[in-house]
Amino acid sequence: MALEHDGRERRGRPARQAWSLRNYMSLFMVVLLGVAGLAAFAVRSLAEMDARHSAGEDVSFASQRAAQQLQAGFDQIAAVSGPLASDPSMAIVFADPSKCHFGYAPIGAFATGHIDLVRFDGSVVCSSPKSPDTTSPTYEGQAWLVTPQPVVVAPIKDPVTGNQVVVVSYPVPGHGALAWFLDLAPIGPKLASEFGSGVHQLEFLVTSGDGRTVVSRSIDPARWIGRNVSGFVSGSAPASQPDLNGTQRIYGRSTFDPVGWRVYVGADEAAALSVADQLSNRSLAIIVVGVGLMLLVTSIVYRRIAEPVRRLSLVMRGSTAGDAVKAVGTTGATEVTNLARDFDRLMATVKHELADRLTREQKALVSERNYRLLFESHPQAMWLYDVHTLRFLKVNDAAIDRYGYSREEFLAMTIKDIRPPQDLPKFLELIATPQPQLDKTGPWRHRLKDGSTVQVLITSHSTTFDEHEARLVLAEDLTESQQLELELQQSQARVEANAELSKAKDEMVSMVSHEMRTPLASIVGFAELLVTRKVTPDQRAEYLGVMLQEGRRLTALINDFLDLRRIEGGQLTMRFAPADIKALIKRGVALIADPEGVPIQLRVPSNMPLVRIDGDSIFRVVANLLSNARKYSPDGGEIVVGAAVVADMVEVYVQDQGLGIPADALSHVFRRFFRVDNPDRIGIKGTGLGLAICKNIVEAHGGTIGVESDGLGKGARFHFTLPLARETARTGDVLVVEDDSGFAHLLQAELTGLGLSSTWAADAETAERLMMRKIARAVVLDLLLPGLQGEAFLDRLRIEHGAGIPVVVVTQKDLDPAESLVLYKAGVTAILRKGPGMAETAARMIAKSLTAESQAAELATG
Amino acid sequence: MRIRTPAALQVLRTVVIADDESSMRLLVHATIESDDYCVVEAADGAEAWAMVQKHRPALVLLDVQMPGRSGLEVLRLIKADPTFAATRVILLTAKAQETDIESGLIAGADFYLTKPFSPLDLLTRVEEALQL
Repeated sequence: MALEHDGRERRGRPARQAWSLRNYMSLFMVVLLGVAGLAAFAVRSLAEMDARHSAGEDVSFASQRAAQQLQAGFDQIAAVSGPLASDPSMAIVFADPSKCHFGYAPIGAFATGHIDLVRFDGSVVCSSPKSPDTTSPTYEGQAWLVTPQPVVVAPIKDPVTGNQVVVVSYPVPGHGALAWFLDLAPIGPKLASEFGSGVHQLEFLVTSGDGRTVVSRSIDPARWIGRNVSGFVSGSAPASQPDLNGTQRIYGRSTFDPVGWRVYVGADEAAALSVADQLSNRSLAIIVVGVGLMLLVTSIVYRRIAEPVRRLSLVMRGSTAGDAVKAVGTTGATEVTNLARDFDRLMATVKHELADRLTREQKALVSERNYRLLFESHPQAMWLYDVHTLRFLKVNDAAIDRYGYSREEFLAMTIKDIRPPQDLPKFLELIATPQPQLDKTGPWRHRLKDGSTVQVLITSHSTTFDEHEARLVLAEDLTESQQLELELQQSQARVEANAELSKAKDEMVSMVSHEMRTPLASIVGFAELLVTRKVTPDQRAEYLGVMLQEGRRLTALINDFLDLRRIEGGQLTMRFAPADIKALIKRGVALIADPEGVPIQLRVPSNMPLVRIDGDSIFRVVANLLSNARKYSPDGGEIVVGAAVVADMVEVYVQDQGLGIPADALSHVFRRFFRVDNPDRIGIKGTGLGLAICKNIVEAHGGTIGVESDGLGKGARFHFTLPLARETARTGDVLVVEDDSGFAHLLQAELTGLGLSSTWAADAETAERLMMRKIARAVVLDLLLPGLQGEAFLDRLRIEHGAGIPVVVVTQKDLDPAESLVLYKAGVTAILRKGPGMAETAARMIAKSLTAESQAAELATG
Repeated sequence: MRIRTPAALQVLRTVVIADDESSMRLLVHATIESDDYCVVEAADGAEAWAMVQKHRPALVLLDVQMPGRSGLEVLRLIKADPTFAATRVILLTAKAQETDIESGLIAGADFYLTKPFSPLDLLTRVEEALQL
C-alpha cells in the first residue's frame, strides 16, 4: 500500500500517515472479502449443524414410530391368539382338521406370513395358506412347540416356506401350539415404505435384544436377516456411525424395545449433509453476488470520485496543464465537478489578482524610482529627519551643495545643529507643539558649514521613512523678492491686527456708551423734570433718589470699565505676595454678609497653605463672587464659600442656591455686559463687568475661573484657582506687614537699597503664618490692617518669638499717648507716621537696629 | 406692573410703557402722567405684548433692548395684527446707531427717541402720536 506522507503539512506534529483514497478503497475491499468469507464459513457450519440436527430428529422419530408399529403388531397377534389357543373348541379342531379354517391378513409391518396349528410332534393340523399335509412332522423338534408360555422366536428359517421368519407360538394345552410365522424380510422395507426414504434415505434396522443378530433391515433384507453383526450398538441419542455396509449414518434408537428387539433408524449422513451443502451453496452464491455488486459500486465510486480528484489535484499541483473541469471530465461526481469549477474560478480570480498586483508593484516600483529621483535631484535642499531624535535620516545632493556638509556629516547631526544658537529656543518651541500634517514656516536662519547663515523658507510634511516617524523638509532660499513679499505680509498682518484691535475698541466704546445711556437718561430726565415742573416734595425725593442711584451706577460702571481696561492692558500692576487665603475670604464674607440674612457658610480648613497672590485683586474677586451670590439669591438661599487644595493649586469656590444659570449661558457669563436673559432677574442690577474683571484677575495669577449650574433655579457654583506660594520662599531679613501695596513696595525697595532682603505680607494673618515658617530678623508693621490689627499681631509676636525682634511701626493711625505707650512697652523701636519719605526713614531705622543687634551678638560671642 | 386708574376709565386712552429698567419706567410714567391717560407698565417684552393684547392701548412706549422679547419684536407683533392698526408706537433706545433707528422705523414705529432724551420732547412726541 502506498502511503503518502506529507511531512511539510504535518510538520511538528506526531506522524500520522495520510492514506490515499485508493488505499482506503483497497482496505475496504479486503475487509469486505474477509467479512464475506467469514459469512460463508458461518453459513456452512450452521447449515451442517442444522442438517445433522434435523437428521437426528428424523431418525429418533422414525425409530420410535417403527418400534410402536412392531409392538402394535405383536399386541394384535396376542389379542387374537391368546383366547383362541385356550379355547376348548381347539380340541375339536385338533380332532378334526377339516374344521380348521385359518386365513392370514397382514398385521402392521408383518406383511406376509402364515398361521399354523401344530401338534407336539411337529405335524401341522391346519395352516392358513393351504391345507397342509397333516401327517408329516414338519416342525418336529422345534423348541417353541413345547413351551408352556407364548414365545416369540426369531429368526428362524421356516421349513415350509424357506423364509426367515419370526415365530410367535401360543401353546394349546394338551394338543400342541398355535404358531404365527411372520416373514422378516418385508418388515424393514414395510417400515421404510411407511416413512419414505426422504432426503435422509432412512435405513430401518431391527436386531435381536443383544444387538448381534439382524432381525430385519430395510436395505437388502434378504442378505442381512439372521446375519450375526457382532455388536451393533447405538445409544438412544442420535449419533453418527457406519452402518452394516460401511456407509456413515446418523442413527437413532427407539426408547423401548418391542418384544425385546432393538429398533434403529439411520439417516444417510452424506445425504443429510448434501442438503446443508445446497443451502450453504445458495447463501454463498448470494454473498458472492453481493460482494460482486459492492466491488462494482466501489469501482464506480473510485472512477467517479477518486480518479477525478486525483486528476484535479494534478491540475492543482500544476503537473498537468489545463482546466480543472476538463481534467475531471464528465465522469466525475457532481461535487467533484463543482469543486473543479470552483477551482477554475478561483484560479481565474487569483490570476487576475496576481496580474493586477504585478502591475501595481511594477507601477509602485517605477513611481518609487521617480520619487527618489525627484528627491535626490531636486534643485532645492531637501532632507528627512526623525521627529523624535531630530536626526537627519536622508539628505539630497542640493542640501550637500548648499550647506557644505558631506552626507556623512549631515547624517551624524540633528536639525538643531544647523540653526544659529540664538534661534534655538524659538525653534524648539515650534517643534515641541504638534506640527500640522503640512506646514510652511519661515523665514528661518540656517547656518552653513562655513559659519555663514542663510534665510530659508521651510515647507515640511509628516511621513514615515524606514519605520521612523519622519518629516520631509524642503528648504527654499529666500530670494530678495520673497523677502520683500514677506515683509509686506508682516506689515499687512500688523495692519490687520491693528484694525482688529481698533474694531474691538470701537465695539467696546459702543457697548459702554450704550450701557451708560440708561443711567444717564434717568439722571438727565429727572433733572429736567425737576427743573421744568412743579413737583411735590415726595416726588422730588423719589426723583432725586433715582438720580443718586443711577449716578452711582454710572460711577461704578466707569470704574469697572477703567479697571478692566487697565487689567486687560496690563497696566494694573499686580504685586504678588504670600497670603493667607482664609483670612482674605473671611474679610470678603465680613464685607458682603447681610447681618439680617442667612449667614454665609465658611468652609476653609485652617491648615491651608499660603497662596501667592495680589491680595487686593483677589479680595475683589472673592467680594464680587460673594456679592453676586447674594444678588442672585433674592429669596435668601444658603451661600457657601470654601477653599481646598486641588493638585498644586488652591481652589476657592462660592456656591449659592439662587436663580442659577441656564446651560447655554454658562460659557458666556464671563463676557463683558453679558446678562442672562430671563425675567426672573429683571430687578437685579449690575455693571455687567464684574465677572469679566474677575476672570482677568484670576488669569493674571495663572489660575482659571469657571462656573457650574444645574440650570435655572438650581443655584450656581463659581470657582477659581490660585497658585501656591513656594514653601522655599525666603522670609528674608525684614517682614513688611502692610496692607497698602504701594507703600509696601516702596519700603521693600528702600530695604533692598540698604542690602536687606524682605518679604511682604498684606495682612497680619499672613505675617503670622510667615513668621511660623521662618522668623524674620525685623518687622515693619502697619497698625490699620484688614482683619487682625497691628497691635494684636505685635502681642502675639512677642509671645511667640520673644522681645528680641526689632519692630518699627509705620501707620496713618492717630495715636494718643496712651496707645503709644502701650506700643513702646511692647518693645517697638519707633513709631512713624505714614507720609512722604517715611519709607526711607523706616528702612534706615530697621537697618540701624539690626546692626546694633548684630554688634551686641558679636560682643556676646566675642 | 403698576396701573394707575383714574375715575373715568372709559374715556381715557391707555398707554403701555415697556422697559426693563424701573428707573426708566418711572421717568416715562412721571413725564406723561396726566388725567388724560391710563398708564400700564411692563418689565419685559413678553409682558409688554400681553399688556398690549389685554388693554388694546392707543400708544405703546417700547424700550428696544429688553429681556425675553425685544422691543422690535413686540413692535412687529403689533404691526402684524390689523386690529392694532390704530395703535401708535414710540421706540426708546440706548442704541444710537442710525441703522437701529432705520430698522425701527421700517418696522413701523411712529417715533423714535434715543436715551438720554428730554422728558419734554417725549411728551411732545406722545401728544403728536396720539393726534395722528
